[in-house]
Amino acid sequence: MVEELENILKDATLAISNACTIDELDKLRLTFLGKKGIVTIIAAKMKDLGKEEKPAAGKALNKTRTAINDALEVKVLNIQEEEDRKVGENIDVTLPGTPLPRVGRHPISQILSEAINALRRMGFSLASGPEIETEWYCFDALNTPADHPARNESDTFYFADGRLLRTHTSTVQIRTMQKNEPPVRIISPGAAYRRDEIDATHLSQFNQLEGLYVDKNVSLADLKGTLEYLLHSIFGKKTQIRFRPHFFPFTEPSFEIDILLQVQGKQPKWIEIAGCGMVDPNVFIEVNKSRGDNNYSPDQVSGFAFGLGLERLAMIRWGISDIRLLIENDTRFLHQFA
Amino acid sequence: MKVSLDWLGEHIDLTSYSPEELDHLLTFAGIEVESIITMPDKVIVAEIKNIKPHDNADKLSVCMVDDGNKDLRQIVCGAKNFKIGDKVPLALPGAKLGKELSITQSKLRGTESHGMLCSQKELGGEDDQGLWILPTESEIGESLNTIYPTIFDLEITPNRPDCLSHLGIARELSALSGKNLKGNSDYAVSETPHRIADKSEINNLDPKKCSFYTTRLIKNVKVSKSPCWLKTKIESIGLRSINNIVDITNFVMMEMGQPLHAFDSNGLKGGICVRPAKEGEKFAALDDLNYDLSIDDLVISDDMKAIAIAGIMGGANTGITEKSQDVLLESAYFIPSSIRKSSRRLGLSSDSSYRFERGVDPSQVIGASELATKLILELAGGRAEKEIVVFGEAAEVPPNVPLDAEKCRELLGHHLKNQEMFAILEKLKLKKINEKDNISEWEIPSFRSDLTRPADLHEEIARAYGIDNIPSRQAGWFSKSSEADHFFDFIEAKANELSSIGFYEARTIKLTSELKIVDCVCTDNCNAIAIKNPLSDDLTHMRPGLIASLLDISERNLHQGAERLRFFETGTVFPGKEITEEAQHLAILVSGPDQNSWLDPSPEPAGFFTLKGVLERIINRPIELSLADQKEANAAFIANITINNKAIGCAAQIAPSRARQIDARHPIFVAEINLNLVFEESSRQIIYQDLPKYPAVRRDIAMELPYSLPNIEIEKVLREIDSNLLESFKLFDLFYDETGNQMNENKKSIAYSLTYRNHERTLKSAEVDTEHEKVLSKLKTKLPIEFR
Repeated sequence: MVEELENILKDATLAISNACTIDELDKLRLTFLGKKGIVTIIAAKMKDLGKEEKPAAGKALNKTRTAINDALEVKVLNIQEEEDRKVGENIDVTLPGTPLPRVGRHPISQILSEAINALRRMGFSLASGPEIETEWYCFDALNTPADHPARNESDTFYFADGRLLRTHTSTVQIRTMQKNEPPVRIISPGAAYRRDEIDATHLSQFNQLEGLYVDKNVSLADLKGTLEYLLHSIFGKKTQIRFRPHFFPFTEPSFEIDILLQVQGKQPKWIEIAGCGMVDPNVFIEVNKSRGDNNYSPDQVSGFAFGLGLERLAMIRWGISDIRLLIENDTRFLHQFA
Repeated sequence: MKVSLDWLGEHIDLTSYSPEELDHLLTFAGIEVESIITMPDKVIVAEIKNIKPHDNADKLSVCMVDDGNKDLRQIVCGAKNFKIGDKVPLALPGAKLGKELSITQSKLRGTESHGMLCSQKELGGEDDQGLWILPTESEIGESLNTIYPTIFDLEITPNRPDCLSHLGIARELSALSGKNLKGNSDYAVSETPHRIADKSEINNLDPKKCSFYTTRLIKNVKVSKSPCWLKTKIESIGLRSINNIVDITNFVMMEMGQPLHAFDSNGLKGGICVRPAKEGEKFAALDDLNYDLSIDDLVISDDMKAIAIAGIMGGANTGITEKSQDVLLESAYFIPSSIRKSSRRLGLSSDSSYRFERGVDPSQVIGASELATKLILELAGGRAEKEIVVFGEAAEVPPNVPLDAEKCRELLGHHLKNQEMFAILEKLKLKKINEKDNISEWEIPSFRSDLTRPADLHEEIARAYGIDNIPSRQAGWFSKSSEADHFFDFIEAKANELSSIGFYEARTIKLTSELKIVDCVCTDNCNAIAIKNPLSDDLTHMRPGLIASLLDISERNLHQGAERLRFFETGTVFPGKEITEEAQHLAILVSGPDQNSWLDPSPEPAGFFTLKGVLERIINRPIELSLADQKEANAAFIANITINNKAIGCAAQIAPSRARQIDARHPIFVAEINLNLVFEESSRQIIYQDLPKYPAVRRDIAMELPYSLPNIEIEKVLREIDSNLLESFKLFDLFYDETGNQMNENKKSIAYSLTYRNHERTLKSAEVDTEHEKVLSKLKTKLPIEFR
């Protein structure tokens, strides 16, 4: 038996040293040491041996088992070492990666989100109002004369029942003041509509961001500071801003805001991007009338309001030349804003 | 409005300002400078010496012109309105007209042309009817930019009609620059006597629309071309020179802002009557068009016929021509709202109506008549009646306005001294009547009828002081977030998530057409709201859903070669049952394979379950889908989506026939959900669960069941099983053979894996067997299934 075991050990040692993979070694382990392995079968014969033979055979059996195990382990380590050395030897790291989607939000949403973030930091909260409005919210309450051209059917979309598509988001100013006591500090993004043919610079429906701040002692200085901060947040701190006197029925004084557009190789140019002003006392008076109180007394409170055209902001910010690109949703366009 | 720098110079000395400085001054007065126009270089006066037809082109002629040099210059020209001896502008080679046109020496249809003869429009004016015929006195060879001054094209806001004249602009510049006005600057003072009209002379039947009407008769005038100075002045600001009388009325209007009208008095029968037009009254105006008038329009008429639409345009029947001898000069004050209404209704606007509808200075009505008469007598001779005949009264001066200096300081947010405010108002020609502490009272000049309230005075002070001089204040305030804030953030989160998994955000406009509405297969599209006055056939209704626009942009992208379509849009929709109903929706569209790569060169195209997977992730609540009964022509099928049995929207496959119309190569799947409803269901409390300490045991079930049995029936049974050990279950295989070879085609095979766990101890195999047996028998009794 001892001799037999010695032969088995020889066979095993040879087989192990010839093995090249971990799999082969696993199989060899089973062949020699498994439940039905060669060594196991011989071990089963131990009980048939005589008393004097047993100790030597037992010793030889253990030795064989240990030797095969050791050989296996050493070989496993050798093979692993060999394989480990190969890892990374042949990879072409210049091949492209597995693509994951890379899509950004629509440019209008990106601008809006930046504007809202900046304004929220200054304590504005959001408000909303319907897009199909009454003439009162869109014009009367906003101090717009009964025969103002904006009310014409040539300029504004109407419905059979006399309602209209709001021509500006300023309607939300009125709705907010009706529902809330001063102070109010709101912004409201949303759609506005004008009866304009769609071309490179016009859409019949576009997007605005409205703002209103009413409290005791709100001043032009607040208006200036707020809008400067907002525009610097969007266009960068170095952007030059100017407030140019203008006229709107619902603010007095009124201003248009220009920023100095500097494109390399071109003459710097002032571009109008927003309208703003101090809330006209007539707007407060109209709000009070509809509320049936005097909580927005022009003697007690003052306020400023502003409106930004989001398409315009996006066009200036990214140099987009045709406003229609913003509603066509060509993926070759959208992809550039990822 | 175009104003000439030279003309302004007659009222105020502007020599120390560059055009850029003036631009700045005007801009910050609230007067927008749209452009500064100067005559281009290398454009000179030339005289036509010879005209002959072009050999190869009927529409062209070949002219020889005298440009002041010895040899005549040959020019090919397309206009017809000139004759030998006319003086016209000649653009020499090298001249640049506008942004586009550079003049070069060239051949036109084989004939050499050494320059170009120009129309007024080509040189920045408005008249494009043929060549610009220059005054005969013009000197040949003289450069046009020495004859014609720099022009500012200004946009005057509707609250400042007083700025619609050279005097008005000069007055404004004087207030802002501190430079005094010079020359004639006060036309409110008149020397001409006037008398109240006899009813037979002027009869005003509508004093509510015309409060003051005056005429003056000038006999035996000689109508002719205007002298050079007048023609140049009129043309320099883009108007067409017609004859001396008409040019004088235009000159007075551009000088002081009061529109005038001159009638050919010989065409008049009887006296003047200011009256409402008759309903349906026809009127042939000076613009050669016929107008149908209504009772709301005001006309000037004689005993027989209408001779002018009041304040807007005169009639062809009484216009001044070379043959006119006697002129009846009208100067009046028409009520702005009346002119505005008529002008809108008739679609007819003129320089005159533009001023009347904004409000002219009533105190200048007589003064304007006086200046025009003086000029007519000078330039056209004749004899004027001694008196101006008047009907009604010039409007009263605007009432005084109080100023609370403290209130003004509060509004500015800046400490401006009372004296500084007063100085500003005084420069603007307001007069302080009295003053006590911070309160003062101010008399308003007649030309500033826009100043009626303290707020108007605050505006003037802010404007003139300059907002640049007011410090900006940046303060933060606490503000509670509103419901609108929460909803906005909710939608933003959904949108950000969708774009992070590769969906393009679309933004489309909310107007659509009846044709497109049928594509809104996921929303009720029967009640879309129609716009009363649509602008075009493709934008006639409010969108009842978003799918139509997503299909639209899919088509656009397919046509530019896109194969992978992944779009979403969020926004307002208008279901239309009630006009006041508006909802925020989210729509998703998927079609085609995901982006391929070298590792996966041809990925599978998206299927319905791609869409459902996106919905499950985005909605983040257990949703149930069930096939809907409703049918839409453009949908292959529609499924209702519910959360907690509440309908929140629909998913659908676009009908293959519709998909083919937009050249789609893969099936298109869409879904649209109401975000307001999802938002209501979105609050969820997360409570931490202890991590399991003991291992779970997994058992699989394979079952065969009728093909038509929806999967949800199995899940319902599994969910209802009362077991402490069954932790979760998951579908992991579905097999179906439509050929019937491997399995009856009316059957499908479904495999679920079930997970059992006891949180107190390790499960014994026998325990799991018993529990699993319970599950199997429950399934077997509830459903027509066989285990495999």
